[in-house]
Amino acid sequence: MRGIPTVLITVGPEASRQMRPPRAIYPKGFKIGNSLGRPGMRDLQKKVLRDALVMLTEPAHPGEIIEREYPEYAA
Amino acid sequence: MTTIHRKCVPFTPLDRGLAKCTVALVSAGGVHEKDQEPFNIADELGDLTFRIIGGDAVFSDLMVTHHHYDHSDADRDINVIFPLDILRELASEGFIGGVAKEHVGYMGYTMQLRQMYEQTAPAIAVQIDKKSKADVVVLTGG
Repeated sequence: MRGIPTVLITVGPEASRQMRPPRAIYPKGFKIGNSLGRPGMRDLQKKVLRDALVMLTEPAHPGEIIEREYPEYAA
Repeated sequence: MTTIHRKCVPFTPLDRGLAKCTVALVSAGGVHEKDQEPFNIADELGDLTFRIIGGDAVFSDLMVTHHHYDHSDADRDINVIFPLDILRELASEGFIGGVAKEHVGYMGYTMQLRQMYEQTAPAIAVQIDKKSKADVVVLTGG
């Protein structure tokens, strides 16, 4: 196996950081159980997933967790 | 509980654009199909098994068995932890190449961390590589 590119969406950045994931995004302030947003927030969920996928194509920071702000989550 | 530290990061570069990639989901959020055996929440050591979820599964096919986080939001909209519907949308828009035929759910709680790391995780990787034939994987927790 040559390896599979992965990206992690985490809402527990402290725990995830210990495993030093190759690519990871933390939607800031999202609670456990809301990795992509709240129920029915389809636009937000899609934005988070798209941002995670785009990380696969960008210069990487292996082992780091990239924090992103999504103000609409709190609204 | 065993603590596992990773010295190096297992990084695999992506060798093509997203529009040419088949994407699979691997979730630690305890997602499985309703007709599959639920994860064993009675065993305090956790459950080291995983379930294969069909790429055409819809909300009413899926459920969550996990006793270490509040999954009431996922019970209302599974996309909050397992965004299969959204992957299908992104595929129909051409943002990604396609949705893998098989995805993976497991219960990301264990007191047997070493077995999870050395046995379950490699078995999931083989599943993704040989069966799902996904080019990339999106990992989610709860």
